[in-house]
Amino acid sequence: MLADPLPESNVIEMLLWILRLRRRVRVSGASMIPTLAANDEVLVNTRAYEDRLPEPGEIVVAHRPDRPQVILIKRVAAVQPDGRILLQGDNPAASTDSLDFGPVAPEYLVGKVTSRFA
Amino acid sequence: MKLAKLVKTLFPAQDVVEAHCDGPCGVYDPSSARIAAEAALSMTKKLLALSHPEHDDVQASIEYHNSFSRYVAIKEEQAHLAKTEVLVLWTDYFKPVHLEKYPDLHTLVWETTKLCSTVKQHVDLDAANQLMANIEKIHNIFWATKGRDIEWFVAS
Repeated sequence: MLADPLPESNVIEMLLWILRLRRRVRVSGASMIPTLAANDEVLVNTRAYEDRLPEPGEIVVAHRPDRPQVILIKRVAAVQPDGRILLQGDNPAASTDSLDFGPVAPEYLVGKVTSRFA
Repeated sequence: MKLAKLVKTLFPAQDVVEAHCDGPCGVYDPSSARIAAEAALSMTKKLLALSHPEHDDVQASIEYHNSFSRYVAIKEEQAHLAKTEVLVLWTDYFKPVHLEKYPDLHTLVWETTKLCSTVKQHVDLDAANQLMANIEKIHNIFWATKGRDIEWFVAS
């Protein structure tokens, strides 16, 4: 499992957020520990996947395919040849992810998490 | 960055993204099944080792029946607990991807839980030893799915 740490927001990230090119969201739950804890905030680039698929290791925000009203934050474990994405929590002992709901179609992606808002 | 901390404190983000898990989150470990099966095995051995006292020795007779009853009661309880622990791993921990990799898992679990019943119903040393061997197999599969190399061991 790739579990690269997430960089903290730098000046550029803050500027992009002020320019509304980043969306700020708050994390709830423990499935991304140790990378992210509950109440951490992150910035999301909602345009990141307009013209490309995510890459393994990236942290993404996506609608949960079986309950689309729920928005998840998970890490990309793999991208299948059919373009669907396997998502996994960094804390597999406490994560509902593609092991439960299967691969996620790219339409469900909201964006790429670019930094931790701190 | 100081600004971020201030913003976060004063205006926490309203949009929430879930890093959740559905259930009461999973701390699973086949050790609990192993401990119960090991206790049932131990009681089976103790029952087989019990020797009937002389008929006229009342005190020894009471002791014998007391020990006998206790061993049976503990064997019943622990064999049933072992079955429950194995079934919890099966229904709550193991997922379809694990089954793809270990296609014999269903059969293994089925046979293991049947062995729990045999150990419970009888004083069967072979069944109790076979139960331990099956739980060792489940232990090996379980830790392999987590990508960890956890050595099998027993308490006794």
